[in-house]
Amino acid sequence: MREILEKILENKKNSADYIEIRTEKKEITTIRFQGKKLEKINCSQQTGGNVRVLVKGGWGFVSFNQFDDLEEKVREAIEVASLIGKEESKLAIISPVVEIIKRELDKDFRQVSLREKKDLMENYNSIIMKSNPLIQSSNVIYTDRFSTTYFANSEGSYIEQEKPFLSTRFTAIAREGDNVQLASESVGTTKGFKIMERISTKAQKAAFRAVNLLKAQPVEGGEYTVILDQTLGGVFIHEAFGHLSEADFLYEDERMSGLMKLGKKFGSPKLNVVDDGSIPDLLGSAKYDDEGVRTRKNYLIKEGILTGRLHSRETAAKMDEEPTGNARALNYRFKPIVRMTNTYIENGDTSFKDLLSGIKKGIYAKDCYGGMTTFEMFTFSAGEGFMIRNGEIAEPVKDVVLSGNLFTTLLNIGGVGNDLKMIETGGGCGKAGQSPLPVSFGSPHLRIKKVVVGGR
Amino acid sequence: MEKLLQQTCKKVDSAELFNVKSKTIPVNFEVNRLKSIDISESEGKALRVINKGRIGFSSSTGSEGFNLMVEKAAATSEFGSEASFDFPGEIKRGKGEKKNINIYDEKVANKGIEEMIKVGEDIVERLKDFNRKLRCDVTIVKDCNEIEYFNSRGGNFSYSKTAIAYSIMVQQIENQDMLMIYSSIESGKDNLELEELISEIIENLKWGDKIVPIESGKMPVILTPKAALVLILPIISGLNGKMVLKKISPLAVQKNKKLWSDLLTLYSDGTIDFAAGSAPFDDEGIEMKQVPLVEKGEIKNFYYDLQTAGIAEIESTGNGLRASSQSEPAPGISNLVMEEGRVSFSEMIKDIKEGIIINQVLGLGQGNIISGAFSNNVQLGYKIEKGKIVGRVKNVMVAGNAIEELKNIAALGNKAKWIEGKYKFPHIHLKSLSVSAKK
Repeated sequence: MREILEKILENKKNSADYIEIRTEKKEITTIRFQGKKLEKINCSQQTGGNVRVLVKGGWGFVSFNQFDDLEEKVREAIEVASLIGKEESKLAIISPVVEIIKRELDKDFRQVSLREKKDLMENYNSIIMKSNPLIQSSNVIYTDRFSTTYFANSEGSYIEQEKPFLSTRFTAIAREGDNVQLASESVGTTKGFKIMERISTKAQKAAFRAVNLLKAQPVEGGEYTVILDQTLGGVFIHEAFGHLSEADFLYEDERMSGLMKLGKKFGSPKLNVVDDGSIPDLLGSAKYDDEGVRTRKNYLIKEGILTGRLHSRETAAKMDEEPTGNARALNYRFKPIVRMTNTYIENGDTSFKDLLSGIKKGIYAKDCYGGMTTFEMFTFSAGEGFMIRNGEIAEPVKDVVLSGNLFTTLLNIGGVGNDLKMIETGGGCGKAGQSPLPVSFGSPHLRIKKVVVGGR
Repeated sequence: MEKLLQQTCKKVDSAELFNVKSKTIPVNFEVNRLKSIDISESEGKALRVINKGRIGFSSSTGSEGFNLMVEKAAATSEFGSEASFDFPGEIKRGKGEKKNINIYDEKVANKGIEEMIKVGEDIVERLKDFNRKLRCDVTIVKDCNEIEYFNSRGGNFSYSKTAIAYSIMVQQIENQDMLMIYSSIESGKDNLELEELISEIIENLKWGDKIVPIESGKMPVILTPKAALVLILPIISGLNGKMVLKKISPLAVQKNKKLWSDLLTLYSDGTIDFAAGSAPFDDEGIEMKQVPLVEKGEIKNFYYDLQTAGIAEIESTGNGLRASSQSEPAPGISNLVMEEGRVSFSEMIKDIKEGIIINQVLGLGQGNIISGAFSNNVQLGYKIEKGKIVGRVKNVMVAGNAIEELKNIAALGNKAKWIEGKYKFPHIHLKSLSVSAKK
């Protein structure tokens, strides 16, 4: 692969300001149980690639999975880029890298037979189905994917990276008459099949929660003091704040960049937020991002003050800041855009018990169905909720959806716990049609005042 | 392709091969100017086999590796679900149904990139004329697909399909307030009306200029066609034959019972010319047709693919759709149409003393939708006072249960609109809905 890519780049080097070619091959296995039955068992292979070129500030991008005429694809990309380019190309300078990165796995799933994978999931599925007579159905989805990416650019970089990914998602569906409730638990990892062999407690937990939700009353809408668990805290910081740190939203938009001005106060001095793609082997980790930039630890908020943001080479150059290693592409069909990796709130010093104390009427929101944001407004749904009454966790409530304005909500974080947990689920992050991109997130327990909760 | 199938059938009892070749070209404008042009070409093959009565599946991109695909499909069939159907031996459109469905337009296929750039520039210019301070992001995209299908029982079909879409997102930022409006139009034919799209956005910019306070409570609401999915997504999921079969759907026991307002009529229809979900056949060779799902508030049908229908011992409704060229068919909605009512949007507003209009929400489809529950942030909404729109509301959530709320339809609009090229909905006026606001 290396010679082919390098030869083409050499031939075309002078016809654009920058050229990169990224190719990928991957194998995917999916197994899905629904109810008592095996619903789906698939194996697929994909190969594909893309060419991205920069001509006078304009990007051209061609993706394909027929490799017959790579040089022609480069020509096409240059042609469309030339329709756009009217200014000077700007990319942050990085030194070229040549490196081949292999992964060691704790039980390589490529060596595990289809039967073994199926038997394991069948076992988890029956744990859910047999756990309680009120369990109506289940959904167990297992996916493994081994992909290798090959990256070469006109500056002389050549990087091969192996990217393994495994996930299992358990959904339990409980039903009593018309009342249907579901609860999910999900595990994602890059580390190997061993982890998938040790998650039966997650299957039990999903079933237990779904049955419990049958008894929960819908939450009463209104404004509450809310405690978020580590998962929801992580989703919150990812969804509500993290996306606004992505410089591609900011760099050409004066008003947005004004709102996200470095040095501005975003929260109390207890609040520290980090994105770090260089932590070994987490879901959002890689040694190099999809532009060949080394990943690193980036403080986004330090002691309540906005201190950094996430960049691609282009946004870094245009904002005159350093590249951060956050240009990521879902797969060969997409161009790299600014994305988070592993995003978390650092530990504070308040115990969970102290966070609860003093709350007369509030909500303890745990786990997450999903979250969404458009700039300053966010919304996310708790997977499980409880009322807090006089500092104690009280009765369960359901359909808890939290919403608010990011800036005020961050300022309203009154308590930061001391129990940070990184969450790795099989889901992922979505942006500009590129979903689900593997990421991880985390947080200690958080206490936030004045959060709007939707309800009937 | 036929040769490949013959080859496959040496290893398994029967097989079908689904092949998609597509070319998509998006022209992207960011922050008011042309930013990037992409050309995305892809080809994918999906092989589904039935061997010893069980289903196997494998998929692959490109032309290489077919043997490996056959091997994997055969291997998965060892554990696969029991097949409750056979591949259709003859694939053609019936007498009673619409014969020809138009889904291909030469003009879209041949549309030049320069022409697409021109459309985008036009849009940006028109919106900037209204307000210089707007940030506009625009995408003009064209899409050409070639679908081919063969099975070992002799069934086969192929067709080509085009699509073109204009999507606009504008933002207006004032201090810490961001007004964000998006809209898009899509068609298989090169007949998109730019005027309507732009005037819709400008109208919303005018309504949204001023922020007004609102108090929590139950109040009448109007959902615009764009926001109607808040109520309809849970229904789509509840009418899915698979959800019914697994007894997960609360609608499973409601067939032929009067459940909702008389006004509510919904059908799935894959035969509408140039709609995004239309095709002569679904993705497993069953002819597409109009399937009445809800008639005057009564559930008439659920929708099925071959396998699910087989288990339910009925016929497929022609709703076996694949999420991508790499997927197996599953019950899905081709296009979904809600019948119009008689009341115009402006009459609806006049009828409301105090209430809100919901135009865009956050968190669509999030949460436990199969139960009918929804809870969404009103990302773009307006307050109505004494029959008039008085301004935009912020920090507001709406919540309810779609199955319940649809019993309370006060009126449906008389002008349905296409959303995402595949849904056609009128405005929905609900008598009352729970609204939570920040104090």
